[in-house]
Amino acid sequence: MALSGTLLLTLMTMAPPATPAAPATDNKSCLRCHAMATLAYRDPGTGEIVDLAIEPHALSHSVHGELDCIDCHEGEFDRYPHPSDAANETLSCLGCHEKDDTEDNIARYQSIDAEYAESVHATSDAPEVEGFSCHSCHDPHGFRASQVGEKIAAIVRDGNQVCLSCHEKLRDPFSPHHAWLPNREKHWDAVRCLDCHTPLSDTEQKVSHRILPPEESNRDCVNCHSKEPSLLNRLYQYRSEEDLATKGWLNKAVFNDAYVVGMSRNATLDLLGLIVIGLTLLVLAAHGYGRYKAYQRTKGDPK
Amino acid sequence: MNPIALKPLSPTAKRRLIVTALVLIGLTLAYKVLYPLAFESYVGKTNAPLTYASSTQLTKTEFEALAQELSTDARQRKAAAIVDTDQEPFARQVKIEMLMNTESFIRDTEPSHIKYFREAGIHHYEGPQTCLHCHATIQVTHGDGTVKTVDTLGDIVNSVHFKFQSESGGFSTYGYDGRQVNSGAHKIPVGKINRACGIPGSFTWTGWAALVESRPEHGEGEVTMRSEGCGQCHIGGNYQPATEKMMPIGDVPSEAKDGIDCLICHSTAYDMNQRHVIQDAKGLRWNQDRSLRAALTVGPINSETCLRCHQHNMGGDAYRHNAAAQALGHVNQRILHRGAKRGNPFSPHDDTHAASGIQCTDCHVPEGHKIPRGRKGVDLVANDIPTKDVTCESCHTQAPHNQSEHKALLNGHIARLACETCHIKELEAENVVLRDWVHPTWDPEEGLFEPTDIYRSGKPGKGFTFLWFNGNGTFLANALGNNPNGSEVYNPLMQQVARLDDPEIIEAVRAKAIELKQQYPDIDVDAYVRMATDPLSQLSPDMLAKREAMIQKNLRAAMNQGESRIYPFKLFNAMMFEDMTNQGPFGAMILPFDYASYYETGDTPASVKKAISDPIVQRMYQEPFKLYMMDEFMSYFGITEGWKTVYPLVDGRLENVEPHWMRQMGTLMVNHGIQGKGRDCIECHSPDGIMDFRQLGYTPERVAELQDLDIIEKLEERPASAEAREKTVQQ
Repeated sequence: MALSGTLLLTLMTMAPPATPAAPATDNKSCLRCHAMATLAYRDPGTGEIVDLAIEPHALSHSVHGELDCIDCHEGEFDRYPHPSDAANETLSCLGCHEKDDTEDNIARYQSIDAEYAESVHATSDAPEVEGFSCHSCHDPHGFRASQVGEKIAAIVRDGNQVCLSCHEKLRDPFSPHHAWLPNREKHWDAVRCLDCHTPLSDTEQKVSHRILPPEESNRDCVNCHSKEPSLLNRLYQYRSEEDLATKGWLNKAVFNDAYVVGMSRNATLDLLGLIVIGLTLLVLAAHGYGRYKAYQRTKGDPK
Repeated sequence: MNPIALKPLSPTAKRRLIVTALVLIGLTLAYKVLYPLAFESYVGKTNAPLTYASSTQLTKTEFEALAQELSTDARQRKAAAIVDTDQEPFARQVKIEMLMNTESFIRDTEPSHIKYFREAGIHHYEGPQTCLHCHATIQVTHGDGTVKTVDTLGDIVNSVHFKFQSESGGFSTYGYDGRQVNSGAHKIPVGKINRACGIPGSFTWTGWAALVESRPEHGEGEVTMRSEGCGQCHIGGNYQPATEKMMPIGDVPSEAKDGIDCLICHSTAYDMNQRHVIQDAKGLRWNQDRSLRAALTVGPINSETCLRCHQHNMGGDAYRHNAAAQALGHVNQRILHRGAKRGNPFSPHDDTHAASGIQCTDCHVPEGHKIPRGRKGVDLVANDIPTKDVTCESCHTQAPHNQSEHKALLNGHIARLACETCHIKELEAENVVLRDWVHPTWDPEEGLFEPTDIYRSGKPGKGFTFLWFNGNGTFLANALGNNPNGSEVYNPLMQQVARLDDPEIIEAVRAKAIELKQQYPDIDVDAYVRMATDPLSQLSPDMLAKREAMIQKNLRAAMNQGESRIYPFKLFNAMMFEDMTNQGPFGAMILPFDYASYYETGDTPASVKKAISDPIVQRMYQEPFKLYMMDEFMSYFGITEGWKTVYPLVDGRLENVEPHWMRQMGTLMVNHGIQGKGRDCIECHSPDGIMDFRQLGYTPERVAELQDLDIIEKLEERPASAEAREKTVQQ
């Protein structure tokens, strides 16, 4: 279950595990309550439902699947009800990821941090953005980077769901947003929001964390619909090398896995097309020449 | 002008045209006149113009006198409600009088139909035709927001309230043969109309209206006439239910449509004392309140109007706050059914929604005269709007608990538990679990023989049990569902609903059997107790094996569908006479009783003989009915060999008819009688809790975990504000 909202970590007042003898230290004790799919409460301040449920399968398959709950949640969560000051616990990715990671990873997180600082989610002064953090998009209990070889359609769907969980009004058929975009629904099914809403750059990141506001986002069709689709390449990096080599074209053109007008080209087909056009022109020219010749003959032969 | 029309027809063509026209006219006449007559004689039912004594013509003066009385009454009630009751009585009286003479108050409290009737010059209420005078069509708002204008009479005639059956798809019921009822090409009418049932002991054809001679002992042998029958709660005023609606062609005759009782639902001052059986030249039928008083007080539908009939199946007839039981009839008083069907009353005294003024139609949002009963259903009843939800969540959301400190944990339970599981803590004590129709008991006060209730209880684990439920049910009303762990162990049709093993219940049944033996010396107490508490013991080993195999093969899929949650289910079983020629692993065709002879003589075989002599039951045992519906009915019933048309009454003797308990208990949904405060944790989470986690299909490890709620112990250990916590834990 995807955790909507996601600011959970700072809102864990209601969470509940315990064993009678020893304090609870294993995930099982926590999940005894937190695996309840409907563990939630309505926040008296906002009226919003705060979801405290963890989907055990998603957790164990997430990037944090190897960790114990208490590795991150260091407060006194071994008792139920959890002490109210545990709610003040703040968790940031960098807290862990800068502390004991490899040089490379630390550099990566620093560049993410720099990108994010320029993101619309960080710079906007809209009230909804208040309190935005990594966890707003990356559910720490289910987040898992897309893997090479995964189905592109699934990557697109899951990726877009992250954005749509807040930007829910976009899907409204009468929404004026993206009205300029031809085949709006088809685009949403085939392209990630991120593909257009991040700058075209050649950083090390698979995709930039600098989310662009609408007016700065990419509107140039050619960035995808061309032989060098710089935007789409970011999505198609998840297709395995082998997959690309063996059935790349077949997938795109025949199985329609993701057929992109202008991009999914085949040199042989192009050549064949040229030859057909050339031959047609040739036949036309020959026909015209024949007619001309015949006319000449009747003219030069008065009865 | 059309040139073809001018061309003179040839004599042959002319003849053909005339013949065709004649044939068409003949067919129409046959359908309109001959078919109804033939049908009436085939099923042995009557139709005639229906008249009611309460429907009288008033003079203008009488009308105005009545109007003034009703207007004053309404004003008086409203004024009294507004002025505080804790005021000094005289001051209160003066204030009420001031309001009574206030112009806007007079205008706004007068029943609206006084003005309408006065303007239209209506001084006589003549049933539906009077209503249709203005309401010939109504606007129906559907769930998706579309608004349609429909014919009012057609809308009501085709509603479950009138025909109490439906044959379209959308049933949540599965036959024991594994097929969803009426999902295939061969659709049969199903609903209360053709369903013999152990609770009423008869069915609508044979038990529509009866006049019973009672001999109360305080009356010193004098005979008092009493009314009984299914028609008391159904809106048709005819001599029988809307039988025509069960057939593939034909319609209810207009006389029957004129008998529809609009006012029992729409009037705020309907006199339930008018609701009793009357006899005329054509037979027995139910009387109605067709007075102008009832018609002039038409108002919006509210819980009170619905409960005139529906408290019967919720709190029960004898429920202390059942208003209808206070008005049993000016004459031929209705017989009160003791032993509640569900024992979960909807009234301000026992239901938190009723107490807060929620009306029935706030949850059961009608679309015209079609009223949704929700998508989940075990007891095979017709459903007007099978696609429409009636749920707690639609108002309460997925996070309904807001008061308790443990609100998140309580909300967490919703993934596995229905709200009713905690918020219906107990049913009425009158709730009947085991009813013996075969051995009636004399009720000296009523002067009647009544079926003997062998066991009544409203307690969890006794009067009701907890089962997984995904919204599906079997053809004989057993909840289907399964533990979300995909358990192979959970098998209620062999366990929870097929066996009563609580020693307390067995002891109570034994005591009752010993009591019955004094009247019926033939009773073998041990055998009686075994049959009543272990109904599967009545099956041969072959049948039992077949039953187990059919459950696995045919029902597992329907059990594993969707998402099941644990719901409370009222349990019910009955001993009735059964036609053993049509027996299968899940039961045999039960035979109805004739009410009058049953109540008067207590001679149950004679009562069965009388009921099955009814022409429609005889037709049931004939080939056309077999092909039209009974074969299909049997297949759903789990009888693979089809319907055997061996009529069980030969030369005045019952052939191959035996008294039996049904092979499993019916499970009825309970959704009313909701209490604001739910159960305590330890009611379930303890080794002797009310929920049998093992039978619910949990693994032994999980059972141990669920029974040992260390969190609660921990809470009790906590020194700081332990008492306060204790309090909130219980919320």
